[in-house]
This record gives sequence, C-alpha cells and structure tokens, in this order.
Amino acid sequence: MTLEVIAIWMALLLYAASTAMSVIGVVFARDKLAARAVAVAGAGLACQTLSLGLRWVRVGHGPYLGFYEVAGALVFCTVAAFVLVAFRRPRLASAGIGIMPVALLLLGGSMLAQSSEVAMTAKLTSFWLFVHVAFANMAFGAFALSFGCAIAFVARARSRTGAWAKRLEKLPAQEALENLTVRYVLVGFFFWGIMIVTGAIWANEAWGRYWGWDPIETWSLIVWIIYAVYLHARFALRWSGEKLAWFAIVAMPLALFALIGIPAAFDTPHAGIGGYGRDL
Amino acid sequence: MTAGFLKRCTGLLASPRLATLLLAAFGAWAALASIVGAQHAFTSPPFLVLVSMLAVSTGVCAWQRTRVAVRRAGMLKRVRELLPDAGEAQWDFAIECDPSLDTAAVLDIAEAALARAGLAARRDGTCVCAASPAWSVWGSPVFHWALVAAIVVIPLGGLVRSSGQMGLAVGQTAPDQPSSYGVLDQGPLRDWGDVTRQIRVDEFDVNCSAGGVDRGPTPTVSVLDADGEVIASQLVYPNKTLKTGSLAVYPADYGLATTVELTDASGTETKRVRQLVDFSGSAEGGTAPMSALVLEDANGETEYRMLVSVPLDPAEGGGYLARLPEAPRARIKVENASGGTAFDEEVRPGETVALPVGGTLRLLDVGYYARLQLVDDPSIPVLYLVLALAVVGLGVTTLAEQMLLVASPVETAERIRLLARLRLWRTLSVSRAEIEAELRAGLQAPSAEEA
Ligand code: HEM
Repeated sequence: MTLEVIAIWMALLLYAASTAMSVIGVVFARDKLAARAVAVAGAGLACQTLSLGLRWVRVGHGPYLGFYEVAGALVFCTVAAFVLVAFRRPRLASAGIGIMPVALLLLGGSMLAQSSEVAMTAKLTSFWLFVHVAFANMAFGAFALSFGCAIAFVARARSRTGAWAKRLEKLPAQEALENLTVRYVLVGFFFWGIMIVTGAIWANEAWGRYWGWDPIETWSLIVWIIYAVYLHARFALRWSGEKLAWFAIVAMPLALFALIGIPAAFDTPHAGIGGYGRDL
Repeated sequence: MTAGFLKRCTGLLASPRLATLLLAAFGAWAALASIVGAQHAFTSPPFLVLVSMLAVSTGVCAWQRTRVAVRRAGMLKRVRELLPDAGEAQWDFAIECDPSLDTAAVLDIAEAALARAGLAARRDGTCVCAASPAWSVWGSPVFHWALVAAIVVIPLGGLVRSSGQMGLAVGQTAPDQPSSYGVLDQGPLRDWGDVTRQIRVDEFDVNCSAGGVDRGPTPTVSVLDADGEVIASQLVYPNKTLKTGSLAVYPADYGLATTVELTDASGTETKRVRQLVDFSGSAEGGTAPMSALVLEDANGETEYRMLVSVPLDPAEGGGYLARLPEAPRARIKVENASGGTAFDEEVRPGETVALPVGGTLRLLDVGYYARLQLVDDPSIPVLYLVLALAVVGLGVTTLAEQMLLVASPVETAERIRLLARLRLWRTLSVSRAEIEAELRAGLQAPSAEEA
C-alpha cells in the first residue's frame, strides 16, 4: 500500500473518530470530548492533505477530475472550514455533530467509488478549471458550515427546557448561532456565484456558448437561487428562528447534489466536477 | 388616477415578498424543466414572462437599494454630525457611567470596550465612533443593478448574435457570410452587410503539442480582411480561441478533404472542388461525404450525384486517424437520378478516371479539413463586465460590514452618561446586544453585590 492510500485511510478513521466523539460529546454533555473532536478532525485533515498532495504530485493535476478526487476536495474544504472556525470560536465545536457526519459519509462514499485517476485532457487544461472548481469547493465548505450551525440551532431550539438544552449550552447564544448560519450562507452564496460566473466564462471560452441550460448549469443556478431566496427571507422578509434554520438545512443537500449527483441523475456530457471520469 | 396606479404597480414590484416569490418560481420552473428534460421550457413564453417580471422587480428594487445606499453613505461620511445631543433624546441607547469617571476616562473605556466587541473604533475629539467605509453600502445596489443589466444584455446579445459551423480544408479561404456555413444560428437583428472578413485554414497538425500538453488534431486559422491581409492568425485548440473584434473561432471537429478536378468531354477543366469527408462509425470504410456534389450534363440538367469518401484501413482500435492508410485514396461513387450506382471506383491522387456523365475526374489531393465554430457576439465583453460588477457588488454586500456607531459622554453636575447612536445595517460578527453589553460592562458602576 502506498503512503497516499494509507494516509487517506488514516484520514477516514480519524474523521470517523471525530464524528463519534462529536456525537458522544453532545449526547452525554461531555464538552471536552466535543472540543477534542475538533483536534482529531484536524489530525484527519493533516492526513488527507498529505494524501491529496501526494496524489497531486503523482497524477500531475489538482483534485478536480473524477468522483474520488472531487468528493475528497469537498470533504477537505468542509473539514478545513470547520476546524478553522472551531479553532477561532471554540464554542462552536458542538456544530461538528452536523458537519463531521457529512464529511465522513462523503469521504467514505468517494473511497468506495473508483479511485483510478482521470487523465487531464486538452479540453480541461484551462486556468478557469482551477478557479471554477476551487470556488465550488469553498462554497460547499461554507454551506456545510451553515448546515452544521443550523442543525445545532434547531437541536437547541427544540429542547430549550429538556436535557438537550444542557448538553448544548456551550454553544454560542441562539442569536449568534443564527447570525453565523447567515454569515456562512452569505460567504457560500458569494463563492457559488463566482463558481457560476467563472463556469460561464469557461464554457464560452471553450465551447463558444456561456449558458446552455444543461443539467449541471441549471442545477447550480437553482441552488444559487434557493440561497438567494434564503437571503431575501432573512434580510427582506425578516425571517428568523427555526424556519430559517430549516431552510439552511434543506438547501445544503441540494448543493451537494448539484456538485456530485448530476452525472448519476442525468445523462449529460457536461459531467461537471463530479464527473465519473467522463470528459467534458 | 394614472399616477396612483403607477405608484401601486411600483409598490407591488418593489415588494420583497413578490421578489422572493418570483425567485422561488424561477427555481421551481428550472428544477421541473430539468427533471422532465423539457429544454424548450427555458424559451417558452411563461418562463420569459417570469424572467421579465423578475428583471423589472429587480430594477425597482435596485433603485430602492440605491436610495438606501445614498442615505447610508451620507451618514457614514458625516458621522460627527450625528453626535447625540442630551437635550433632545435622539440617542439609541444611553449608559449611566460610574460617576467617578471623567469624560476622558469614559472615552478611553468605551474605545477599549468597542475594540473587544470587534469594532475598529476611533476617538474623534469628544466622541468615539466606529463606522464602516462609505463604499461598503454600495455592494447591494451594484449587485442588483448588475443582475438587471445581465438579464437585459443576454437577450439583447441573442438578437445580434450568430453562431455556426464552417468546414474549411487546409489552404481554403471562405468569406464570413451565411453561405459559407454548414449550420448557422442567428439572431433576428444579425446584420451581415458590413462583414467583409474571410476565414482561412492554413495548416493542420494531427498531433499538436503545445505547452507540454497533447492538444490533439489542431488547425492554424487566419482571419483576413477584405483585401486578404491577415488580421489574426494562430493555432486553435480547446481553450485557445482565436478572437478578433466580436468574432471568436473555436475548434469543433475535423475530417478529411479531397480536391478533385473535373473536365468536360473536350478535356477543358470545368470545376475544381473540395469535397469534405467526415469520419463515421456507421459508414462503410469509416468515412462519409459531408454533402454530395451535383453533376450536370451538357444541357445543364442535373442527372448525377457524386459522393466522395476516403476508405480507411479496417484495423480495429486506435481511432480513425490510426486507420488512415499511408497513401490515402478516394472512393468516387456516382449515382444516377433514380439512386442507382453508375460509377464506383477508388482513385489515387494524380489519377484520372472517365465519368459516366461525360468528361473526366482527377483526384488532386487528400488532406484534412477543420470544422470551426464561429461565434460573433458583440455582447460578450459587456456581459463579462456586468458579471465582474455583479461579483464585486456581491463580494462587498456579503463580506463587508455596514454599521455606524457614534457615542459621546455627557456630563452634568451629578452624573455622567454615554449617549450613543447605532445603526447596524449589516453586521454578522457582532450584535447590538453584544456591543451594549461590552460598553456597560466597562462603564457602569459596580453594583453593591459586585462591589
Ligand atoms: C435575480 C434576482 C435577485 C437576486 C439573485 C438577489 C440577491 C440578493 C442577495 C444575495 C441579497 C443579500 C445581500 C444584499 O444585501 O445585497 C439581497 C438582498 C436584498 N434584495 Fe435582492 N436579489 C434579487 C432580486 C431582488 C428583488 C427583485 C428585490 C425587490 C424586492 C430585491 C430586494 C432585496 C432587498 C430589500 C434586500 C435586503 C438588503 C438589506 O437589507 O441589506 N432583490 N438580494
């Protein structure tokens, strides 16, 4: 087994441990465990970085091609965003209960899929590939954070008086948690917007058309519009509380679908970054 | 009544609820169309009406966002003028300070407390203020206006845009006019009258490698002006588009090109034509002619169709190019009016054969042709600009805080209070309650039990 494979398995195990520690930490009100879960996620991230780096050097391109690489990059951005945020705001550590399971399932799923490398083709060799994919990943990282915060918000809102209230009391105040959810949606919305714009420019540079309503383009726009509705609900219609939190919870899986589910659900030559090894 | 009606319409269009509903309807329509695979749903009248309503509504909102921004920017520029006055109760909150503090101490403590709350506060004479830069309020209007512009520019571009494919053999030049295109989509206002340029394929490299990457079969394309002067010339491969003015040339495909010379019964050359041949999995021999050449008899009546193909080696695998024989030949098939084969022979370059229609055919050459995608859309640079503006506006509106705080101590004989004006238009890192709490914690006299 090569170091690249060993490192990704280590990352998977550490993410699994971090997920378990987050869940146990919250369920049994062990604050220290939830905080340590962040450190373990950080160790997993280091292993995943090593694996991604080794693969990058070996195949000669970043993690943009094929399901294995793309899902891995999404997991990387999600965990990195979580570790960074929880490091700066230790009280957010319990939000790991919403975020780490997503990361774990996604990485596990990608490792079950084919992991053989997809060759960089002339069609893909473009500066826009890098920008486009990088912003897609960062947007997903931000949406995953908003999802985690929204889950924590709903969990606590539902148990204001119950035993769960005590388990989650270390979290920032509900108002702050809600603001954080909105903030991560805003950041994700901005990055997702850049992803769409750079994708359109790239499509125009590569194919001579900037928009063709193919499934991947359509669904990225749908996700962007859904989050625009969320932001209007918040800023223009003054929505707040559980209603708004549920919105963020439901929107995130749609973003994930737009990133990796399209080639499975639609027959499209534009497989996007989640392409199962297909060319543009 | 008209004015009232107009006002009601604007009111409705500016309603955030309608805007949100329109956005949701747009998303739902797109999702449904995509799931059932109804591509035409994106050009159907209900969708266009929806998008137009969204554009108008966004325009009205952008106008409102602009007015809001002007107001906020004005306040941010003149923070000092907003200084709360103890006489008229125009403060948003007042903090009763520890009476042992003097004005200078209150200002020091307030500044430190605001810094703890994450605000970059500064002292300005007898007040302390924290205000976002004036540009921070412009993100939202710029973004909403850019969206309106994009919704307008895209259909306008569609009116004058042309996009089509043209097949050119190596060495061939064709005017950039509809007659040179095999497939052409164009907007109703596309005007070809002033287009005088010509397109030429200079070379074709079957194994082009550039920048260390194998680019595959690649043509070198030139765009010439009316006098034949080269305006632009380069290799054209994926992601390396030839651009000149509003024209962009992309590689679409390639195939083979045969050049044949036809003579009449007396031996004089009547025609020299290029027949383009496509690779085809279903055709016998692996290639099929792109179009048939119509041969006329001496009376000028059409009688025969000539089909030219280039038989490939039968070898499996390796793609079409690997199956191209070392010395390619052309297969000439002539069909009569009823579809019967009148002639079917393979001809080598330089060889001459007699045709059933009279006269002869000589195969001059078998080479390559490049199928180019030509797009002429003057709206692209405008669209790019609009998109860039949208990204900048969105970046500012989503990432920059918009807030204003100005506070000043007011001292009377028996007490000292900090009066503050606060506008939190957009702060997600700190809330009003947190700011107040920090200030109170620093300034209030400790209560009896705390003491
Ligand atoms: C293509 C359609 C639209 C998109 C994608 C969009 C997107 C956004 C986004 C991302 C925000 C949050 C950031 C900001 O403050 O700018 C926002 C805010 C807002 N939008 Fe829109 N918008 C659209 C159309 C409209 C329309 C039609 C209206 C008219 C009611 C509108 C009114 C507002 C208002 C009032 C805010 C709140 C601003 C604030 O309080 O700071 N938008 N929009």
